[in-house]
Amino acid sequence: MCAKLRLLGIGMALARRECLHSAILFFFLLLGFFLDSAHANWRTLGLTGINPAGAAIYLREKCTRPKHFGEKLSSICSYNDNILQAVANGAKMGIEECQHQFSMSRWNCSTFANTTSVFGGVTDIRSRETAYVFAISSAGVAYSVTKACSKGELNECSCDHKVHKRKPRRGNWQWGGCSEDINFGEKFSRTFVDSEENSESAFGLMNIHNNEAGRRIIRSQMKRICKCHGMSGSCNVRVCWRKLPTFRAIGDVLMQRYEGASYVRVVERRQKDEEKRKKRGKKLRAANPIFKQPNRTELVFLDPSPDYCERNETLGILGTHGRQCVQGSPRVDGCSILCCGRGYQTKIREVEENCNCKFFWCCKVKCETCHSKKEEHFCN
Amino acid sequence: MPGVILENLSGRKLFVLVSILLIGQFICFLIGGLIAPTPSSADTILATKCHDAGNNSDKWFYVRGKGKCNTIEDLKLKYSDTETQKHMANHIVFAFQIPTPRDNMVLDYSRWQQNLIGVLMFEVVYNPEAEMEPRTVISMDARLGYRNYGDAEDDWKYYASSFETRTLDCSIEVKKAGHHYNCSIVPLFELGSLHHDYYVINIRLPVDSDRKLNHGLGFVTDMWLVAINQNGGYTKVWMSMKVTFFPIIVAIMIWSWNRIHQLSRSPVLLEYMLLFLGCALTFLNMPLELFTLLFDLPFMLLFGDIRQGIFYAALLSFWLVFAGEHLMLQDEQKNHLRMYWKHLSGVAIGCISLFIFDLCERGIQLRNPFYSIWVTDLGTHLALTFIILAGISAALYFFFLSYMIWQVFTNISVKRATLPNMSNVRRLHYEGIIYRFKFLMLATLLCAAMTVIGFILDQISEGRWKWDEDLYLEYTSAVHTGVYGMWNIYIFALIVLYSPSHKQWPSEADLASTTEIEFNEISSLTSFSRKAALD
Repeated sequence: MCAKLRLLGIGMALARRECLHSAILFFFLLLGFFLDSAHANWRTLGLTGINPAGAAIYLREKCTRPKHFGEKLSSICSYNDNILQAVANGAKMGIEECQHQFSMSRWNCSTFANTTSVFGGVTDIRSRETAYVFAISSAGVAYSVTKACSKGELNECSCDHKVHKRKPRRGNWQWGGCSEDINFGEKFSRTFVDSEENSESAFGLMNIHNNEAGRRIIRSQMKRICKCHGMSGSCNVRVCWRKLPTFRAIGDVLMQRYEGASYVRVVERRQKDEEKRKKRGKKLRAANPIFKQPNRTELVFLDPSPDYCERNETLGILGTHGRQCVQGSPRVDGCSILCCGRGYQTKIREVEENCNCKFFWCCKVKCETCHSKKEEHFCN
Repeated sequence: MPGVILENLSGRKLFVLVSILLIGQFICFLIGGLIAPTPSSADTILATKCHDAGNNSDKWFYVRGKGKCNTIEDLKLKYSDTETQKHMANHIVFAFQIPTPRDNMVLDYSRWQQNLIGVLMFEVVYNPEAEMEPRTVISMDARLGYRNYGDAEDDWKYYASSFETRTLDCSIEVKKAGHHYNCSIVPLFELGSLHHDYYVINIRLPVDSDRKLNHGLGFVTDMWLVAINQNGGYTKVWMSMKVTFFPIIVAIMIWSWNRIHQLSRSPVLLEYMLLFLGCALTFLNMPLELFTLLFDLPFMLLFGDIRQGIFYAALLSFWLVFAGEHLMLQDEQKNHLRMYWKHLSGVAIGCISLFIFDLCERGIQLRNPFYSIWVTDLGTHLALTFIILAGISAALYFFFLSYMIWQVFTNISVKRATLPNMSNVRRLHYEGIIYRFKFLMLATLLCAAMTVIGFILDQISEGRWKWDEDLYLEYTSAVHTGVYGMWNIYIFALIVLYSPSHKQWPSEADLASTTEIEFNEISSLTSFSRKAALD
């Protein structure tokens, strides 16, 4: 078994006792290799993480530095690797959703496989784009973990013990069921994603706020569905559950939040407040006191965004040169905005398009090909 | 029904009895609210898409444990015309393995959880190139298997299978690629007994161009199963209530029947009706569900419905007969159940049509758990016919009952006017009737109103009421146990209060008092005649 696992090169074998010798060796080799990426962003899992090896190594690396992890997180270190697969999926979903939502904006959520920060230097700016990225990826983790729980892939998923106020036991589930919806996913995302942030710094505070906003959006978009059953099918007994929204819906709502994001600054908590709750001394307040304070589902940012018009290698901005735009649109996808006033070219192209399509379950679309001429506009 | 306990009970004793009963009622409500969990709970499970390499319709596809299936992560749309894609659909198996693990424990169903209902939710992705009809028929090949604690992990056994068609009603708000249709929930199966520990459900959506199977179906990417089961704790609380009420009601019935038999007369109709009501309640109270802990009894759900139906029929009939017996017209003539056939036929028709409906739904589910009467148009019409019939007879019944009660009240007011002119015995007799009737009316209206209000509040509220941080009231359960306890207490009170009173027993003292009354009557008569003569 050991040999087979090593052949596969899967880091998961690390914890298995029979492979301990070789595993330790293997581990140190890997540690040396990845020492460089000690500050690697977990979102890279979304790009590379489809192979479990990367995910497992990432977690081992984090778990060897417990000071980085809070006490809560030590439990995560004992989780099995399926959960990291879920994290990787979540990161991927976040990135894909970001790219979908920003596909027609000046910054199109471009990713770079060769950097440690996934989105280049853009996410080091404390801008609203960063706010969106953090919110959507934290939501992605919560969403993906919740889905994995629903599939029964993770053993760690918990029930809502608040309801019963009892320790987890087999009998409790049989007694009162499991009123779990997304609590575990949220909690996991909170410990996992927020552990990266330093709650003393302004940027850390902003990121924690946005992470939480992303998670809360999921809950706010859940729909309650009820079904009646009872004597002769009457509504004697009614049972309700909550349906997970699609991730697209979460992306959409977060996009609205992005557009209405609040410009904030850090203020020191007053002495009196501090006595009340000794958690932290800093908090975020709207930069302009005449605006209302951002609530916990709203995105916040600390600095204005760069203009994203020109290419900037250090920040990882690709610029809008050569991007396709929509003529006459008043929104961000319109040529006047997207091209930053540089003007655009129009090309007429003969395109082959799918038309008169018929869908066959599961996965096939049978289309005819139609030819048409299409005007396309590209920024200078 | 002359001289019942209610009439002869002193006000203080009645107050004490009613207070005890009310305390009992309150306890029933609190047991449901504080001890019992919600009546049932729902788990939502996301399907794992398994790949069936060789169209093995006999093989089980499951998610966890030895021999688990090869999963397909995401279904991707392909624009192609090749034949290889064509049969892809028949190789996808949506697999659910319930219950799902929690808190690092492999959970298993307990027999206390009684029954299991499966409901499907479909995730259909909108595709602008090929939109789906708002009403689509979906064909499913569904199989249900089970395994018990201690069995090998791959030892799944067949339970049921069926080829089912369901109608999927879908709508979409934002017609953009990547958004999902908003589809109605689809009932899948209903198990009357949750006898085994683990279940697996395999669903295929077969595609066949000849039979036009699943032809209009959109891009179903995911499937959710909502597994609804009764909560074990609720069953335990429920059963303990039954176990408590069962001997109490039996004892009080025996006590009452003994008293009736100690009388010189034969029992009257109302006493028979009370006995019948008590028997129906006892039948309902019998904790027969405990047998499901030992045996696989899928008919328990149907049987429970029948028991409840009999109880309701008895209660409704009792009210009719009670009102009829207090009409105070010709007391002797009404003493037969035959006289009430017109009124009771409403109850009978209603109950029979509900029974037939129940047989059509739950009876057939005994053979095929995937069956639902609502999925075909014919079945829906049939079901609606029976339900409407039951509704009409309910309306008729209430019309009759209201009419009779109105009659009783007019008679009461007529009798009231003549009361002062009556002899003592006759006055006492009529006053007794009026008091009995009014007492029952009050109690019944109170109970009915409480039941209705309880259920309405349950429908509109969220199910759990918070008193403070630590104290939650499980309102739905509280209503259920409260109402159940209330009707038990109501019938208990009826049997006690409407039993023949001691004071009517033909003892020495009684005989003496009757002669005294007769003597009084005679003396009053003589004085009357004397007075008349004087005039």
